[in-house]
Amino acid sequence: MAELFTSPFFGIALSIIAFWIGVKIQKKTGLVVCNPLIIAIVIVAGILLIFKIPYDSYNEGGQIINMFLAPATACLAVSIYTKIELLKKNWLPIVVGASCGSLASMGSILLMCKLFGLDSAMTASLVPKSVTTPIAVSIAGSHGGMTPITVVAVIFTGILGSVLAPMLIKIFRVKDPMIAGLSIGACSHAVGTSKAIQIGETEGAMSGLAIGICGIMTVLFSLILM
Amino acid sequence: MKIITQIGIIFTICWISQIIEKVLPFEFPASVIGMILLFLLLVTKVMKVDHIREKSDFLLSNMAFFFLPAGVSIINYFDVLKNCVVQLIIICVVSTVVTFAVTAYSMKLVLWLMNRKKNAREAAVVQETKAADHAAAVCGKETK
Repeated sequence: MAELFTSPFFGIALSIIAFWIGVKIQKKTGLVVCNPLIIAIVIVAGILLIFKIPYDSYNEGGQIINMFLAPATACLAVSIYTKIELLKKNWLPIVVGASCGSLASMGSILLMCKLFGLDSAMTASLVPKSVTTPIAVSIAGSHGGMTPITVVAVIFTGILGSVLAPMLIKIFRVKDPMIAGLSIGACSHAVGTSKAIQIGETEGAMSGLAIGICGIMTVLFSLILM
Repeated sequence: MKIITQIGIIFTICWISQIIEKVLPFEFPASVIGMILLFLLLVTKVMKVDHIREKSDFLLSNMAFFFLPAGVSIINYFDVLKNCVVQLIIICVVSTVVTFAVTAYSMKLVLWLMNRKKNAREAAVVQETKAADHAAAVCGKETK
């Protein structure tokens, strides 16, 4: 019986079904909290735990899905390239804003980790959590962090950012749609960007741009800070 | 054949960036090297977006799905998480607000400085033309 689950087809099929259910639920409810990835993680983890299927069996298929992360990250270049005109026109404020934002994110997390006395593995897992998952995971991995914790922290931050975005725009009196977009993208990457697109076209484009630029900035800063 | 070619292009870039990662003396994630490499190829017009459009659309629009196995492995970390859930939530909330605020205000500052510089330059131009007009007027009077 156990051999049935070690086939890579099992892991891939289970993942796709779970993700499909997640997407359906998100479409039905329209809530940011019903993030398809979170729902799919809960479904797959639940099935593995209930039926006592070892993670390694699931991972036979899982690692094949995992392999697509690197090419997906590389393709973020395409989404930056399609906004190159916007970037050329406003490169200085964009680069400065993204750098300061990334630095503030990493600095504040480092400080709080020290404050709470978290160990270095946990700190390394959390520091890159404001950037998009593939980049955050590679940074955490190369600095001895626990990547699953990074994944969960990144998604949680993304949901948080997109829920808080309209409120933050009001509190900090951000009137320029360019600034609003970059700030949303800087603090809550792709999940926030989907919210920014709803707020407005400029907001969405800037937020999308912030994903890539903040990602690169965070990698650079992680060389110095971590 | 079209899709296979696109997969070939993107996977080749990924493989080359893994080689670069090995060669680099410091820790720099291969996936980000791939991203920079692809961006350079597009900017220098060596490659067009059309060469990889379908494949990159597929990867970008299904990005979240590819994280599922990584996310599921959280079940191996329940013990670690149990002890610090509250701290994690506080860290996520505070850093999100701080990041938003710092990004917004630093960008505001740069835009304000750029505007001021532009205004100063325009003001200088206006003054110069005024001075020139004045000089011309004075010259005109003198010649009279």
